[in-house]
Amino acid sequence: MEEDDGAEEQQRFSYRQRLKAAVHYTVGCLCEEVALDKEIQFSKQAIAAISEVTFRQCENFAKDLEMFARHAKRSTINTEDVKLLARRSNSLLKYITEKNEEIAQFNLERKAKKKKKSEDENKNSTEQAEAGVVESEN
Amino acid sequence: MADSGSPDSEPTTRTLLRRVLDTADPSTPRRPRSARAGAQRALLETPSSRRLSSQTKTTARRRSQRIRSIGKLAHVQASGYLEEQTPRTLLKNILLTAPESSIVMPKSVVKPGPAPQVVQPSSRESSRGSLELQLPELEPPTTLAPGLLAPGRRKQRLRLSVFQEGMDKGLPLSQESRGNADASSLTSSLNLTFATPLQPQSVQRPGLARRPPTRRAVDVGAFLQDLRDTSLALAPPDTVLEDTQPFSQPLVGRSPSVHHSLPCPSHSGAEDAERAVSHRTRSTGPRLQNNSPGKPAQLLAGKAEVDALAMNFPNTSSSIFGEVGVEPLQDGVGGEAEERTEKSLSMSKVKEAARARGSARAQEPEGHTQVTEAEGSQGAIETKEPEGSSGDCPTSSRRVSPELASSTPEFLQAKRIQGLEPAPPPSTAVLPSEPLEPLSARLPPRARTPGPKACQNPYKTGLSHYAKLFSFYAKMPMEKKALEMVEKCLDKYFQHLCDDLEMFAAHAGRKTVRPEDLELLMRRQGLVTDQVSLHVLVERHLPLEYRQLLIPCAFSGNSVFPAQ
Repeated sequence: MEEDDGAEEQQRFSYRQRLKAAVHYTVGCLCEEVALDKEIQFSKQAIAAISEVTFRQCENFAKDLEMFARHAKRSTINTEDVKLLARRSNSLLKYITEKNEEIAQFNLERKAKKKKKSEDENKNSTEQAEAGVVESEN
Repeated sequence: MADSGSPDSEPTTRTLLRRVLDTADPSTPRRPRSARAGAQRALLETPSSRRLSSQTKTTARRRSQRIRSIGKLAHVQASGYLEEQTPRTLLKNILLTAPESSIVMPKSVVKPGPAPQVVQPSSRESSRGSLELQLPELEPPTTLAPGLLAPGRRKQRLRLSVFQEGMDKGLPLSQESRGNADASSLTSSLNLTFATPLQPQSVQRPGLARRPPTRRAVDVGAFLQDLRDTSLALAPPDTVLEDTQPFSQPLVGRSPSVHHSLPCPSHSGAEDAERAVSHRTRSTGPRLQNNSPGKPAQLLAGKAEVDALAMNFPNTSSSIFGEVGVEPLQDGVGGEAEERTEKSLSMSKVKEAARARGSARAQEPEGHTQVTEAEGSQGAIETKEPEGSSGDCPTSSRRVSPELASSTPEFLQAKRIQGLEPAPPPSTAVLPSEPLEPLSARLPPRARTPGPKACQNPYKTGLSHYAKLFSFYAKMPMEKKALEMVEKCLDKYFQHLCDDLEMFAAHAGRKTVRPEDLELLMRRQGLVTDQVSLHVLVERHLPLEYRQLLIPCAFSGNSVFPAQ
């Protein structure tokens, strides 16, 4: 049992490390872009610090999101929760809201398209069937 | 003080007893403290001795002997609330609990006879005005004494049980028991409560029932009187304190300040306040008297008020105030009372306000210093005219106190008012209007002169309190600009806090801010964590009353659902 726990612990730890590594890599890429843009260099320690902070902040965000969802008596995290989380920074909030609307619209469109498509398919199939019948009749 | 001799010029019980005790023979190795007890008893007996007529020396001697046996008997008895079973305490208990119409000697704790002197049916000039004992005849006890002395130690237990029987039966002192050298004499002769002095007491003297009487070299009667006056003063919100304050000097200027402080205690519950106040007044009273002989009245009154205020404020400081807080208080009082400046007055109000709302984290030290300041300024207030003080201070403090007082009933609805102590002072500053309105209606008779500033900008006054508190804790002089910046930051902070609360409520599809929203806020602030739950914080920082309001398992009343 204890071994299992230890193994699990190890697993979790390694998983965490992998995540951290991923974050670090992403942060590095972003920093490179910014460096090219602003023509300023980033030291390795700076990138490491930023990635560490980002990781911890992500943990916080996750906990907060869960709290918000629970506060609204939901079990799924919603865009509303995300918006509540991002309300502090105005620009970020605006950005998120826009994105949200975009996505919502996209979803709507897709839904409409899907519906239309399925109707067309139905029509086609019936036409084909009729055509087939007609042909056969003929 | 008791040693200074009773006012009676004639040889009283006390003096005789003292003489006897001084020359008493150490016949009770088991009661080394009899001598001490005797000395203490002498102190206590000062008031009682006044009741007594002059006694003979023999009587006193007999009494001293009885005292020793009393001591033994007392030692046997296990009365929990008596911190020390001494003849003195026993006698005191008897005095307190003896029924009015009994002919029993109040002093005859163990013996029926102790002080023949005690028996004065009518003389009740005891300084303890609260006690109403009618002293029984002197004769019977006298003869009993030698008889009772005869039995040795082995009879003590028997005596006690018999005694208690007698107490239960409530037998009046009778002649036949006299002849009995046995314990039975005690029973029949005595009608004293030995075991439970507090029970009957509570019926007659509710004000004293709650606390076990303290033994101290203080004029107990005066103290009790003072205590009752204080508790009386607390109950009626609109009564002027001057009428009931023990050392009060009827100053006109004091009444407004009195009004200031009174409504606060009255609102949040006279009982709790009374209890706490009595406790604190008791502890602080004598000290005050010792420290500030110059202004005993004001300080005492101030202390009572402030104690009441402190008690009523849902603040950690009030809960842990106890003795610790009193010490700094004394120094503060001594120093502050001298100043009597408007500044100190405003500071006191600031402190009260701040104390009321509670500030973040530094509850305990804050409480002490706050009360210190408040005390000092209270002393100053009483002798000064409150109008002189800045108008906004009394106004804001008034606002704060009513806010707090009202928050108790409205607590569950508007938790934001209280916040929770650990949370940084919540939206109180920003939402003072709502809780204030019902209260201001309740307190119209208060003679106030609200300054124009306060009326115009209630928010600003609240913030200025916090700024002043800030400057106090900075322990160094602060520039005005710095204070203004602090105010600005506080303003933004509170605004933000309230916005968050509003958003949380909206997020849950509600229009009212509820305690859940506050809990969420505290979680975001990091005060409530997975290790530290909200209830833990409530228990840690809020006074005990709020625990029952806030913690479900506390107010559920141990009812299990579904019933099993």
